[in-house]
Amino acid sequence: MIRVFLVDDHELVRRGISALLSAEADIEVIGEASTAAQARARIRATRPDVAVLDVRLPDGSGIDVCREVRSDNPDVKCLILTGYDDDEAIYAAVLAGAAGYVIKDVQGSGLLDSLRKVAAGKKLINSTMSGRVVQRITDTHHSDPRLESLSAREHDILPLIAEGLTNREIGERLGLAEKTVKNYISGLLSKLGLQRRTQAAVLHLENRDL
Amino acid sequence: MNDGHSFAFPDDARGELDKALSDLMGRAQDVLATQGRLRALLRANQAVIEHIDLPVVLRRIVEAGVDLVGAQYGALGVISPDGGLEQFIHVGMPDELAAQIGHLPEGHGLLGALIENPHAIRVPELAADPRSVGFPAHHPPMSSFLGVPIRVRDEVYGNLYLSNQADGEFTAEDESLITALAATAGIAIENARLFAETHRRQAWAAASAEITAALLSSDGIDVVSTLATRVLSLADADVVWVLQATEDSGFMSVETARGIDEELIQGARIPVAGSFSASVLEARQPRLIDDGSEYHLVLSGDRPLGPVMAVPLVSLGRATGVLLVGRLHQSPRFRRADLEMAADFAGQASVAMELATGRMDRERVAMLEDRGRIARDLHDHVIQQLFAAGMELQTVAGATSPEISSRITQTVADIDASISHIRTIVFALGSPATDRRDTVRHAIIDLANEVAPRLARTPSVNFAGPVDLVIAGTLADDVIAVVREALMNVVKHAAAQSSSIELAVTDDEVQLRITDDGQGAKGSTRRSGVSNLEQRALNRGGHMNFASDDTGTRLTWTVPIEEPT
Repeated sequence: MIRVFLVDDHELVRRGISALLSAEADIEVIGEASTAAQARARIRATRPDVAVLDVRLPDGSGIDVCREVRSDNPDVKCLILTGYDDDEAIYAAVLAGAAGYVIKDVQGSGLLDSLRKVAAGKKLINSTMSGRVVQRITDTHHSDPRLESLSAREHDILPLIAEGLTNREIGERLGLAEKTVKNYISGLLSKLGLQRRTQAAVLHLENRDL
Repeated sequence: MNDGHSFAFPDDARGELDKALSDLMGRAQDVLATQGRLRALLRANQAVIEHIDLPVVLRRIVEAGVDLVGAQYGALGVISPDGGLEQFIHVGMPDELAAQIGHLPEGHGLLGALIENPHAIRVPELAADPRSVGFPAHHPPMSSFLGVPIRVRDEVYGNLYLSNQADGEFTAEDESLITALAATAGIAIENARLFAETHRRQAWAAASAEITAALLSSDGIDVVSTLATRVLSLADADVVWVLQATEDSGFMSVETARGIDEELIQGARIPVAGSFSASVLEARQPRLIDDGSEYHLVLSGDRPLGPVMAVPLVSLGRATGVLLVGRLHQSPRFRRADLEMAADFAGQASVAMELATGRMDRERVAMLEDRGRIARDLHDHVIQQLFAAGMELQTVAGATSPEISSRITQTVADIDASISHIRTIVFALGSPATDRRDTVRHAIIDLANEVAPRLARTPSVNFAGPVDLVIAGTLADDVIAVVREALMNVVKHAAAQSSSIELAVTDDEVQLRITDDGQGAKGSTRRSGVSNLEQRALNRGGHMNFASDDTGTRLTWTVPIEEPT
C-alpha cells in the first residue's frame, strides 16, 4: 500500500486528486494540508511514502517544504505538483530535491503512474535533465551582469541539489552543518528568485510578490 | 593834388592784404571743407549703425570708409584667434579680378604689421615701405595706403584698410576721420553681434521648448534624431553626431548622424583612445576646438572638420553620450556663447528625455502588472478549478456505463486542452517583453501571432514537456525554422480554417507537429519547400513525415534529444 500525503491550497483540487487516488487498490491518502506550516507538521507526524506538493502555498513554497521534509526523513519521496508548465515544474522539482513533478493535467499528467514509480524509489527526472537545469541556472545567472553571481559555496551546492540530495547529505558531502546548508540554499533560491524569465519558475516558487 | 588823385595803397601793403584775404578765404574754405567732411563722417556713422545684421554692417563700414576719404579700394579683415585673417570683405575690386587673384589676403606684409601692432598705419607709397611683401599676380597696383584697427570692447576685432587715395596720398585728417569711423564701427559690430546672439538664443530656446513638448505628448518620436536635426540648423553646422558609449569600452558608436556623410557615419564605431568625444564624455564638460583635424575628425573626400563643439549628454546623473557639432575646415568658429547654448539645449533635452522615459516606464509597469494579475488569476483560479472538475469527472467515469464513460472521457480531454491553452496564455502574459527572444516557446508564440492576420484563425499552440530547457541553441534555430516554413506554407497554399502547432519534449525525443485542415498540397511546390526541413531533421539523426491530401496537411518533425555539452 502506497501512503500518500496531499498538499494543495485548493480544496477542490485535493478532493479531486483524493477521489482519484482512493479508487486505486494500492494507494491510500493518509492526510492533506492546505498550507506549508500544516504540511511540515503533519508530514512529520504521518511519515507518508510520497508527499504530493503544490509549489505555491499561501504561506510559503512547496519547494521549501519538500527540502525540509526530506532533511527530516529522506525516506519520504516528494512529487511536485504545479499548474504552470513543464519548464517551470522541472526547475521547481530540481531545486526542491523532489523525485519528480506532475503538472495539472487530468489525463496527460500520469499522476498514478508517477506516484507508483516514485514510491518504488525511482527518479522521474533523469540526471541529464537535472544537469541541464543546473547548467541553465548558472549560465543565465552568469550572463546577467546586473545581479551579483552566486558565491563559490552556492556553486558547490547547486549540482548537489540537482542530484536530489537532502540538506543533511549535502552538509555531509561538503563538511557543513545542516543548518548552514539550509541557509545557503535559501540564499541561493532567493538570488535565483530575482532572475528573469528563465527562472520564472523560481520566481513563482518564491511566492514573493504574487 | 588831392582831388583828382585816386586813393592808392602802397604796393607792399596791398600784397599783405591780398594774402590775408586769401588766407581768410582759404580758412573759410577749410572750415567749409572740414564741415563737409564732418558731415560726411556723420553720414558714414549713420550708414554703419543703421544696420543690425553683421555681414551687412561689415560691408557698410568698408563702403563708408571708401567714400569718406576718396579711396579707390577698401577692405575689412576680421582677425582669427590664431592671428591670421578669418574674413576679408572688400570693396572696389571687381569680382572677376578678385577671382583671378585667387585666395584672399591672409594677413602678411603691411596687413600683418597692423595685426601685430594695432595702431593706424599711413604710407604714401606701398611699394616703398619696408614692411610690404608685394602683391600676388593679377593684383591691381596700389600706392597710397591707410589702415586702422577696429576695436570691439577693448579687443581688436579687425582692421579697416583703404588704398589709392584719389588725390595721391592720405592726409592726417583722413586718418583722423577713419579712426573716428572705426570707433563707431566697433560699436555697430558689437550691437550686431549681441543682436545675432539674442536671436540665436531665442531660436535655441524655442527649439528646446518644441522638443520638450513633443517628447511629453507622444511616444512615437525619435527624440535623438529630432534633436540632432534641430541642432544642425540651429548651430549652422555641417555635421551633428550623437555618440554613445558601447559595451566595448574601447569604442563609441555614432547612434545618430545628421549633415554631411550622415549615411556613412551613422552606426560607425569610433575608437575611444584619443578621441575628442571620449574626452568630453569623461570630463563631463562641454568643450570647443577650432581645428577638428587635431582629433582626426575628417569626413569623406579628405575634408577635415574645423570648428567643433561637444556637449556631454547626462541622464540620471550619468554621462551616457556626447552631442558633437562640427563645421567644415575654414568655417567661422563656434563661440563660447554657441557652446553654452548647445549645452543648455542638450541639458533640457536630457531632462525631457528622462521625463518621457519615466512616463513610459510607468505605463509599462502598469501594463505588466495588469498582465501579471490576469496571469495569476488564470493560474490560481481557472486552471485549478478546471483541473479539479476534470479530476472529479474522471473519478465518476469509472463508475458509470461505458457509453457515458466515453462521453465523460471526451469531456475530460476537452478540459485538458483548455488547461493547456490557458497555460500557454499564462506563459505569454507572465513574461516581460524584454525577454521575448530568449526562448523557443516565445519564438513560436510570436510566429503564430505573426501569421494570424493572414489566416482564418490564429493557429493553436500547445507545448508538452520542458521545451525551453531542452530546445536551445541550434536545435531551437531548427525548430523555429521548421515552424516558420510550415506556417508560411499554410498561409500561402492551404486556405485552412484552422491550424495547430504542437511541440512536445519526451524523455528522449523532440516532436513537432504542424497540422491544418486546408486543401492539401497540390503539385510539388509545397513538397520541395519542406525538403530542406527534412534535411534539418536528418542532420540530427531524426526524421520528418509529410502527409497531405484534400482534408489537410500534417507535418511531423522528430529528432532525438542531444546530450548537453
